[in-house]
Amino acid sequence: MTFKPVPAAVPEVSLGDAFVTTRADAVVNWARRNSLWPFPFGTACCAIEFMGTVSSMFDLSRFGAELVRFSPRQADLLLIAGTVTYKQAPILRRIYDQMLEPKWVIAAGACATSGGFYDCYCTVPGIDEIIPVDIYIAGCPPRPEAFIEAVYQLQQKIGTESVAARKAVGA
Amino acid sequence: MSIVAAKPLEAGVPAERILAQLAERFAAVRDGRDRWGLTVTVARERLRDCLQWLRDEPSLHCDTLLDVAGVDYLAFPGHRGPRFAVVYLLKSTRFRHRLAVKVEVDEDDCALPSVHDLWKIADWAERETWDQYGIVFRGHPNLKRLLNHHEFSGHPLRKDYPCQKRQKLSVNDPMVDQLEARLRQRGYEVVERGEVSAGDPLTFREKSP
Ligand code: SF4
Repeated sequence: MTFKPVPAAVPEVSLGDAFVTTRADAVVNWARRNSLWPFPFGTACCAIEFMGTVSSMFDLSRFGAELVRFSPRQADLLLIAGTVTYKQAPILRRIYDQMLEPKWVIAAGACATSGGFYDCYCTVPGIDEIIPVDIYIAGCPPRPEAFIEAVYQLQQKIGTESVAARKAVGA
Repeated sequence: MSIVAAKPLEAGVPAERILAQLAERFAAVRDGRDRWGLTVTVARERLRDCLQWLRDEPSLHCDTLLDVAGVDYLAFPGHRGPRFAVVYLLKSTRFRHRLAVKVEVDEDDCALPSVHDLWKIADWAERETWDQYGIVFRGHPNLKRLLNHHEFSGHPLRKDYPCQKRQKLSVNDPMVDQLEARLRQRGYEVVERGEVSAGDPLTFREKSP
């Protein structure tokens, strides 16, 4: 197949199927939201539910988030599933810092969103004390459908982002 | 593989006999609040002798220290006397009996003699009790926090600790000092040492002979 140079000053409509006109945001966000690479920060029972979500029965890969990475440098979605203690918090913070931009965070389950039923000296009452969170999932533990819903909502959110705005804040 | 039958356990020692001996030797009294097992209270000055005797006396043979537990009676209904207590849980693997030895501890003089030299496990058990209740164990070789972070302040199982006080911590608590000592003892050496407080791992290798 050979590419013919496009003559200057040809109206777009006359180019046929060779071109698609769109916005940069739309095409970048389309790519980003359909290839999320989750890093599971599983600390307690909720992580078991996440395992169900990514395995064949519920199959999160149908929604474009199947490539689970265990290195924060290769992931762009941090998924906290489980109870986080203050002692673990510096570790969580460091993992978040190690992830490259753009990155998103889902807090899964009662513990990660609010500390759950742990009203005590050692549990972080919601990981948003430590890192920013994009989507919260309710439940103790949330069902796999809820995980899928959260990923779906996150995809909607990514769809509204602007590349220029991210660039402006250095992200 | 041959299966060796366990040695049959010897008959238990009657509680009355243990109580009578402890009362005679260490002026220990039975704690009536314990309705399920046998708890005796001894004075702080007699504690070490009492525990050592329970361990060494062949007819009792309390060879295992199961736990060292702190108690804070701050809000306990009807409690009179010192605020804290420490309970040593003993078990005899030969006679199968269990025994709890309790000692009361004043808030103003919050200290007990350490028994880390009688039972090895007392080392960590006393560290935990210090960590959670702030009770000092005099003579302990390494009395530092066991469960809580080194930046943590206060003793969280005291009843007046505000449990919703949020203590954010800045670094990872590596807790590798004891692991390192143990591995060295077993013939390993450190090959690589990153910034430990930042969570970098230590890499060990077996020393070549
Ligand atoms: S929210 Fe419930 S299921 Fe999830 S980690 Fe907490 S206790 Fe476990």
